[in-house]
Amino acid sequence: MKRKKVTALLAVMAMTATLITGCGSSADTQDTAETPQAAEEASDKESTEAAETSGGAEAVTIWYYWETEGHQVALDQVIQEYNASQDQYEVTAKYVPFADFKKQLSIGASADELPDIAILDSPDHASYVEMGIFEDLTGKFDVSSYYEGTVNSCTVDGKLYGVPFGVNCLALYYNEDMLEAAGCEVPTTWDELKETAKKLTGDNVTGLALCSVQNEEGTFNFVPWLWSTGATSYDIDNENGIRALTFIQGLIEEGVMSKECINWTQGDVMNQFISGNVAMMENGPWQIPTMQAEAPDLNWNVTLIPKDAEYSSVLGGENYAVINGRNVEGALDFLTYATSEEKVKFMMDKFGYISADKTIAENQFEADSPYQPFVEELNYAMPRGPLAEWPSVSDAISLAFNQVITGTATPEEAAAQAQSTIDGIVK
Amino acid sequence: MFCAAALFSIMPAVKYAAGGWYKVAHGACYTLKGEAFMKKIKKMFRYENVGMLFVLPAFVYMLVFVGYPIIRNIILSFQDVNAGNLVRGTKNFILFDNYLELFQDDVFRTSLFNTLRYTVMCLVFQFVIGFILALFFSKRFTLAKPVRGILLVPWMIPVTVTALMFKLLFATDIGVINYILRSLHLTGKNIEWLTTPGTAMFALVCANIWIGIPFNMILISTGLTTIPKELYESASIDGANRIQTFFSITLPLLKPTIESVLILGFIYTFKVYDLVYVMTSGGPVNSTHMLSTYSYKLSFEMFKYSKGSAVANVLLVILMIVGIFYIKATTAGEEE
Repeated sequence: MKRKKVTALLAVMAMTATLITGCGSSADTQDTAETPQAAEEASDKESTEAAETSGGAEAVTIWYYWETEGHQVALDQVIQEYNASQDQYEVTAKYVPFADFKKQLSIGASADELPDIAILDSPDHASYVEMGIFEDLTGKFDVSSYYEGTVNSCTVDGKLYGVPFGVNCLALYYNEDMLEAAGCEVPTTWDELKETAKKLTGDNVTGLALCSVQNEEGTFNFVPWLWSTGATSYDIDNENGIRALTFIQGLIEEGVMSKECINWTQGDVMNQFISGNVAMMENGPWQIPTMQAEAPDLNWNVTLIPKDAEYSSVLGGENYAVINGRNVEGALDFLTYATSEEKVKFMMDKFGYISADKTIAENQFEADSPYQPFVEELNYAMPRGPLAEWPSVSDAISLAFNQVITGTATPEEAAAQAQSTIDGIVK
Repeated sequence: MFCAAALFSIMPAVKYAAGGWYKVAHGACYTLKGEAFMKKIKKMFRYENVGMLFVLPAFVYMLVFVGYPIIRNIILSFQDVNAGNLVRGTKNFILFDNYLELFQDDVFRTSLFNTLRYTVMCLVFQFVIGFILALFFSKRFTLAKPVRGILLVPWMIPVTVTALMFKLLFATDIGVINYILRSLHLTGKNIEWLTTPGTAMFALVCANIWIGIPFNMILISTGLTTIPKELYESASIDGANRIQTFFSITLPLLKPTIESVLILGFIYTFKVYDLVYVMTSGGPVNSTHMLSTYSYKLSFEMFKYSKGSAVANVLLVILMIVGIFYIKATTAGEEE
């Protein structure tokens, strides 16, 4: 009987243990849950890695989260060229899914299993600087011609902890045919936007869509509306902040924006747009290659996000960061190579990104290119943070917008609640 | 806490092993006569003693892969670890501050309540429906066995796939459920299942009931086969009707099975993660956060590692209590 008791206890423990070990093992298994081409690349790289150990070159590893095949191929090509150009370092890249990227960096930091270079989402940069895993790069790269916002996103206390990879921002896409059919002009103010969206909304079409999920992706799409009123990310409970929340709430209540947006990622929003279910959307330039490939006959164009008080957009994109205490020399050598004008141009074109280097960006596209409005929008784009506690501030902002969208709070209540959370974080 | 339980449970084994080694040492030092020494060795390798050695690998495994993470997690929850001091800097012990803060946190309270509500609702429906199906398929009729086998499919499909499927079923404009409701004129306009706090929870519960029915059905079916046919025969000779047989024979004899099914079901349901993560990610407006999803969010999205582990520990303590009931239930039956 006693032995039975022991086995029973062991069984229960093993079951409950999956709670904790379950978390751990999923981190490992998701490495293998890569897209096929990434898996292929990984195996290729493994073989080159094996060859390289006998060759004697020092290994430099990169983590990135782009799941788009074109992005992976372009990065890989630059890496291959770099490896062929010298024999001191051998660079390999590893794909970590976006949903897991922050978790993997955190786990890696505490277990001392980090790459040499991380290409990460810019609003998270400050948190990892705070963690102390990034190398101080002040004076090692010339970023004077880069967009100020992008440089700020990797600068903490006046020190440079990263190099901007590429830059993007949000703008308003509109379906030209639908606008023409409804006899609408391209909207430039909130009032015009609402009127246009009303006219465009029909049986199977809603006027406007923007990704409203309750996480960083949602915050990214909300802040242009917030900032356009003159409110800041840290100061919401005032008439400006409330006006932004009321505007979004109004779009939902009048049926010109679907409540489903709270479950739509930016990719989902784009799919709704190219399927013709949505007439206008807020989205970024990285959607352009997919849209051109999937819906070549769709007539669409891009314009600035309509303004309340002033034009506003949000700065997105990735930064390179060098992990300290590892192969810093090798990482710097590769970064110097990858940030040269020629390589930047090559990658930006393949990625559908805008260069973070202002001098390159301004001549990067033809005047009638759909990317050009984004370059213009960049002049109004501001970064989120940089702040180590940004994830918590972001959570408060996306929660407030979700509350008004789902009707669980009035704009006044949502603004007050968000403000009290933010005041608890930023003192 | 868990490790203490492990140590406790393994104590007899440790005592035995230690006793054995003591005997060896004793033998080596004080008995110079080889014969007596060999006897002691032989005694030590007697069947029961060797049996205890077989426990050792499992014990070490549990200690390293279960005990260590749990203890680390408990320590972490008493500290103030965040992005600033995960790698460098001092980790201060703040004892119960994380827990105190959590219990004042609305989202935590919602997720605790949600987890309990979700578990109870799922268990009730899974169990009742599973039970009815088990009774139904215990009758002999054509295709009973293959159909019962097909009913196992929901249990075999990966949870993320089921979650995506239900997310589509419950979608507002394109969802099949709204389409059916509209066709039957049960609702005028589309119901916003996953974007309204109350109905989102309902959708999650539906999805999980669908997953859990086969589990309940199969275990109860197995339990039913262990009830001797003679009992039913003699009952029918005595003139018992079906309801009487069910309450006087089937239910009492199934008691151990029912207890196991409910407790195992509780543990499986309580630690739900993937279903919620894929279907709602805790939304809308945090209304479907569970302890597991909230713990993940705190730790890996907001860099509040200590708070996240405190949430995980609350989950652990609740499951521990259920686990103790499980042991009581399984051993009580044997002692009778």
